[in-house]
Amino acid sequence: MTFRPVQNFKGGRALLVMERTGREGALEPTLAKLGVSCEALQIVDGRAQLDMASLQPDRDMLFVDGDLDGVLTIELNPLSHLPPVPVIGLVGVEAPSRLKALVNLGATAFLRKPVHGGAVYSALFMGINQFLLRGGMQERLQTLEERRRGRRAVLRAVVQRMRDSGLDEDGAYDQIRRESMRVRQSLESYCEDLLSRRASPPDSTGHTGDPPLHRGDKRAM
Amino acid sequence: MTKRLRIGVMFSTTGSYGAVGRTMLNGAMLGLSEVAASGSGPEIEPVIVNPGGDLSQYRALAHDLLASGARQVVGCYTSSSRKEVIPCFEKHDGLLWYPSHYEGFESSDNVVYTGASPNQHVLPLVDYLAAKHGKRAFCIGSNYIWAWENNRIFREALIARGGSVLAERYLPIGDTDFDRVVAAILEQRPDFVFNNLIGTSAYAFFRTFRAACRARGIDQAAEIPVASCTLAEPELAEIGAEAVDGHLSSSVYFASLAGPVNGAFIRAYAAQFPDAPPPSADAEACYIAVKLLAAALQQAGTDEAAAVRAAVADQRLIAPQGEVRIDPQTYHAWLTPRIGRSTAAGQFEVLLEAPEPIAPDPYLVQTSPRFAAAMRSPLLRLVKS
Repeated sequence: MTFRPVQNFKGGRALLVMERTGREGALEPTLAKLGVSCEALQIVDGRAQLDMASLQPDRDMLFVDGDLDGVLTIELNPLSHLPPVPVIGLVGVEAPSRLKALVNLGATAFLRKPVHGGAVYSALFMGINQFLLRGGMQERLQTLEERRRGRRAVLRAVVQRMRDSGLDEDGAYDQIRRESMRVRQSLESYCEDLLSRRASPPDSTGHTGDPPLHRGDKRAM
Repeated sequence: MTKRLRIGVMFSTTGSYGAVGRTMLNGAMLGLSEVAASGSGPEIEPVIVNPGGDLSQYRALAHDLLASGARQVVGCYTSSSRKEVIPCFEKHDGLLWYPSHYEGFESSDNVVYTGASPNQHVLPLVDYLAAKHGKRAFCIGSNYIWAWENNRIFREALIARGGSVLAERYLPIGDTDFDRVVAAILEQRPDFVFNNLIGTSAYAFFRTFRAACRARGIDQAAEIPVASCTLAEPELAEIGAEAVDGHLSSSVYFASLAGPVNGAFIRAYAAQFPDAPPPSADAEACYIAVKLLAAALQQAGTDEAAAVRAAVADQRLIAPQGEVRIDPQTYHAWLTPRIGRSTAAGQFEVLLEAPEPIAPDPYLVQTSPRFAAAMRSPLLRLVKS
C-alpha cells in the first residue's frame, strides 16, 4: 500500500515539555502558522505533568527538551519502540547522552534550540510521518510474524492431506489453499483450525499424536 | 525621521527573466517617486543592484547591501534567489520585501511577502480550469523549486477534484527547445497545459506550441489552452503577435483592471516609463511593497527590522488591485485573486475575480487535505493492436 504522508497539521495539539528560558525561539509562533495549538506542560519537581491516558495519536504531539534530565517517562510499545504520540526532541546540548535520552523517549525528529522558524515544518513532517511509517511497519511485521508461525501448521496440514487423500504435495497444498479461500481465511489460520478440528474428537484408537497447534505457538520448526 | 534611509532594490534586469525584472524595478521606482513627491514620507535613497539572473550573485549583492547599512531591501523574483538570500537577511537582521507570487511553504521573520500565496493563485486556477476546460492536465515547468512545488499543489488540488495529470515535464531555466515536449502534448491531447516555465523558456514554448497546433489545424487557445500563474503583460510583448492571445493567467492584478486607483497607476507608470510595456502583477507587488515599506518606516521612526515589521502589520493600502493589507501572523498579503485571458492587444481581459481580498494561506493550512495524494501507477495503455 502506498504511504500517504501527513502534510497539513491543522487541528494538531503540541504539548511542550520545556522550560521558559527564551531559547524557545520561533517554535510557538510557527506552530500557530501551521494551525497547531500549543500547551506548555507544567513541570513540578522536575517532572512534567502529563496525563498519558488523555493523549490522542492523530491529534497530539510532544516536544521534549533534551536538556531537561528525566523530565518525562514514556512507556514505549515493546515491539515498535514507539511512544503513544509522536515525540520531537528539542536539542540544546548536542551530546550523545542527551540525544540517546530523546531516542529512548521515542523521538522521531529533532529541532535545534533556539528553534528557527524555517525548521519547524520539516521537523513536524519528519516526526509525525516517521511515527506513522514505523507504526505501519510494526503492524506489517506483526502480521508477517503471525504468518511465519502459522507455516508449521500449513506443513503439517499438507502432510496430513497427502496421507489422507493420496495427493502429491502440490495437489494437497492447492486443495487446502482453495478451501481456505472459500471460507475467506488466511491459509495459516485455516490450517490451524483444520488441525485442531482433527485433534478435537476423543481419540478412541489409543493413538498418541502431536498436540494441536495454536496461533502464537512459539516453538521452533 | 530626518535621516536619509538607504533602501536596497535588487532585481535581475538582465538575464533569462530580465523582462520581468525590468518591470519589477519600474514598479518599485514608481512607488519611490510617489513617496518622494508626497513630501510626507521618509527620505529614501534607493541603492539599485542587478544580479543578472545569476544565482551566485544574489547572496553577494544582498550581503553588500546589508553591510553597507541598508536594512530594508525590495527584491528577488525567483524562489531560488529568495531562498539564497534569506540566510543573509537573518544573519544581518535585515528585512526582505519579496514582491512576487510564489509557491508558499515559507514564512521567514525577515521577509514581508507582498505577492500572491498559492491559495491566491494556484487554487483559483484549478477551480476555474476544472469547471470550464476539463480535468486532464499536462504540466510543464522550469526545473527549479517554483515549478516543482506549484505543480505538486496543482496536482493534488486537481486530483482532489477528480482530475488527473497526464505528464509533468521540466526543462532547465533558459532552455528554448520545445519540439519534443510539444509533440508529447499533442500526442496526449490534454484538456489544458499548466505552465510553470519562466522567462525566455516560457516565451519560446508559447510560440512553438501555437505554431505546431496551427500546422495541424488545431485552434490551440480553444482546444488546448495554456494556463499559467506567471504570465503577465510585459511577457505578452515578449511572446510576439503570432502567439500572444488566448492564454489563461491567474493573477491578483491585471493592467486592464477598471477603477480610478488603477487608472492613476497606469497613467503614472506610462508617464515615468514611456517605452515600457504595461505593468505586471509583480510590478504592482513591487509598488505595493515600496508604499507599505515607506508607511511602516514612517510609523516606526527607524529602519530597524523588528520595528518596521511591527509597524507594517497596521498598514492598509488602497492599491491598484484593491485593498491590500499584511497578515500579522504570516507577513503575507491579503490580495484579490483573478483569472484573465490574454488578448491580441497584449493585455488581459478579466474573466473572473474574487469579490474581496482573501487571506494568505502560505502553508495551505485552510485549503489542502491532511494527507498528501498518493501517486497512482500509470494505467495500462494499448500501444499496438
